[in-house]
Amino acid sequence: MAQFTFTINGAKKTVDVPPDMPILWILRDLAGLTGTKYGCGVGSCGACTVLLGDEAVKSCLISADEVEGKPITTIEGLSADGSHPLQKAWVETDVPQCGYCQTGQIMAAAALLKAHPKPSDSDIDDYLSTNICRCGTYPRIREAIRRAVAEEVEER
Amino acid sequence: MNPELSRRSVIKVGVAATAGLILGCRIRESAAATPQGSADPFAPNAWLRIAPSGEVFITVAKPDIGTGVRTSLAMIVAEELGVAWESVKVEQAVADAKYGSMMIGGSTSVRSSWRPLREAGAAARAMLIEAAAKKWGVEPGSCRVENGVVLNHGPEKATFGELATEAARLPVPTGVALKDPKDFTIIGKRLPRVDNRDVVTGTAKFGMDVRIPGMLMAVVARPEAFGGSIASFDEAAARKVPGVRDVIKVSTGIAVLADHTWAALAGREALAVKQDPGPNASVDSESIHKQLGEAFQPFGDAPEGKVVEAEYAVPYLSHAPMEPMNCTVSIADGKCTIYAPSQAPDAIQRSAAQRLSLDRSAVTVHTTLVGGGFGRRFQMDFANEAVEIAQAAGKPVQVVWSRDDDMKHDFYRPASRNRFRAVLGSDGKPVLWQHQFMQAQAGRGTPNWGREEIPYQIPTAQRMTGGARTPIPTGAWRSVSHSNTGFAIESFVDELAYAAGADPLEYRKSLIADARLMATLERVAKLADWKGPKPAKGKGRGVGCFAGYGSYFSMIVDVTHDPDLGIVVNHVYAVVDCGIAINSSGVEAQVIGGVNDGIATALKSAITIKGGAVEQSSYFDFEWLRMNEAPKFTIEILPSQEAPGGMGEVAYPPAPAAVANAIYAATGHRLRTLPMNELPE
Repeated sequence: MAQFTFTINGAKKTVDVPPDMPILWILRDLAGLTGTKYGCGVGSCGACTVLLGDEAVKSCLISADEVEGKPITTIEGLSADGSHPLQKAWVETDVPQCGYCQTGQIMAAAALLKAHPKPSDSDIDDYLSTNICRCGTYPRIREAIRRAVAEEVEER
Repeated sequence: MNPELSRRSVIKVGVAATAGLILGCRIRESAAATPQGSADPFAPNAWLRIAPSGEVFITVAKPDIGTGVRTSLAMIVAEELGVAWESVKVEQAVADAKYGSMMIGGSTSVRSSWRPLREAGAAARAMLIEAAAKKWGVEPGSCRVENGVVLNHGPEKATFGELATEAARLPVPTGVALKDPKDFTIIGKRLPRVDNRDVVTGTAKFGMDVRIPGMLMAVVARPEAFGGSIASFDEAAARKVPGVRDVIKVSTGIAVLADHTWAALAGREALAVKQDPGPNASVDSESIHKQLGEAFQPFGDAPEGKVVEAEYAVPYLSHAPMEPMNCTVSIADGKCTIYAPSQAPDAIQRSAAQRLSLDRSAVTVHTTLVGGGFGRRFQMDFANEAVEIAQAAGKPVQVVWSRDDDMKHDFYRPASRNRFRAVLGSDGKPVLWQHQFMQAQAGRGTPNWGREEIPYQIPTAQRMTGGARTPIPTGAWRSVSHSNTGFAIESFVDELAYAAGADPLEYRKSLIADARLMATLERVAKLADWKGPKPAKGKGRGVGCFAGYGSYFSMIVDVTHDPDLGIVVNHVYAVVDCGIAINSSGVEAQVIGGVNDGIATALKSAITIKGGAVEQSSYFDFEWLRMNEAPKFTIEILPSQEAPGGMGEVAYPPAPAAVANAIYAATGHRLRTLPMNELPE
């Protein structure tokens, strides 16, 4: 056990945990942030995707000792009220079916838009193919990303 | 069978503790299931509650596993009630016998709820009108309802909230006229589902998100092989892991309870269990496949004509919902509270009550949002195990299944082999169609010919069902047995078309009897601009049709044979007639979901058995479709005034065959075994 201090969604959080404890379980079981989902624990489904800085990472693969000092953004930190363009676009496009993977999909899309504000189809493939949607909502995920991009452009 | 025909509904009304109108709609499942004269023979399927404040609450008794019933069922009630959709709040029912069957599956939810939910809404509307008419001293017939307000020809108007208390005192009318579908203002709209906002903000509560005071997280080390056991384990080592609070031997294995999930997982690792594979150590996919082959029977004599024979095989499949099995249980003071992402909360309630020797009323089952079902969550195993662990622990417990637990301890879509023989007459059409369907599941079936339920007119169409007993647990998977036979039937009819020298789409048209299915096929041909299965070198188009669950579906899929990437699925054209589409967005979502499942299982996904156990453990070896592999969709819903059909299953059965048919068109290779992950050299 050791003490680690993180910045999660802009707030400092100190935990006393085993150094190899994945961030996923720190978020879900210790920080009360259950919007980040457990899907596989081995980095093959992307349900646990969060932002580390501006990068999308699988929080099940990143342990406490690898993150200290770096800012983590979870779905709860993307916006407090669902006002992020991706969140709005997801609702309007009616993307979710069961909904379980969607917070991870949105976080992967958030990293995509940070790197590629106007993503091509292959950019979307590159950033989103790490995330499985067992319900198969992919066409609407793609459409929602397009919608969010269009709204961003409109607001500028 | 149309579920509506086997049910009739009775409306009951009562005054709530808080004033206002409560209307319960009770569905009588069937005379056999609910004997006359028993204390509680009926059960409400849905409730609507109007508070004096005007708030409208609609309770949905069916779990939403992703098919959107929390939206579509509430839409039905709201439509007949006559409220603005924006004013509706949807509540999830706590398990209770009064709801009748709360099970979701077999594309039955909308079909079985359609009539009773309309009647519930319409009766409430009539009572609110009656209350207003009395208040104003006018005839009810002179009043109408608009967006939660009763209006008269004159200046009078009253909101539902203002009328609720008075309306609740009125007798419940029967035989209230239902709305003419042309007057629908909610049904048929394209509405985003009610949980979207919670989902995208991370506030939606799935089973694994339940947190109750004092609860421990538990994981279980289970025998890997079916019928196996745990030979030994190191309890002391597990207890040394920081955060581990308890190690308990239960009927399913060794449970490790801890302060958080990671400690429980680490504790389980520390158990270093030694597996005893038990009596099924020699069972593997090859031996099961061989057993299935031995179940085939001779076809018998055939009439004169061109004989076509083929055999198709499909593997076991896991449901692999994104949210692994889990269940949270608290038992205290003679009461049990369960939070379950389940497809059958009422069955969990009954099962827990029986196990704990409690009255059913002492067991409260909350249905959380459900991270995918596909048939897996009909099963009671995950809830029964959590009840056992919570009882033994004497503390609230959330039992979490890791992904490999979930994949290795599923109730799998059975593997099957399908052998066909057809005889074509001089016009190329089949005069005889015989199908032997051999499934790997408990129960051998009957080696007698029955009728093959296919949408094609063939003078003699027969099916023989059978199979092999194996120790591998099986269960319902999206579209149940059609998930096996859909691939086989729609591939074989395609082969017959080529054998007859006909266009595969035109050939189907020449055999289809049902006008509604025909309309979907004709429309999809137009939508896709069908000019034959081989549009260009290396490209192929495949057709698939299916009628079932009250709906009719046709699709065309375009594939490219890419020298580097292999088979790429480019575009799916789909046309569905599902009767009245409650929510067109939900209908299209189910088409996308069903077809994408079809593509995944056509090309990638399989569960294999070795040493009596499942070989796969996660999404890297039980692969599913990903963004870069997902095709574009063009979907059309045919307008209809027929009663709604089911949508959860109908798009799956023909999809793997449509892909196989397209691959044949593109490459000349007829692939008859799923998954089709390799082309012959």
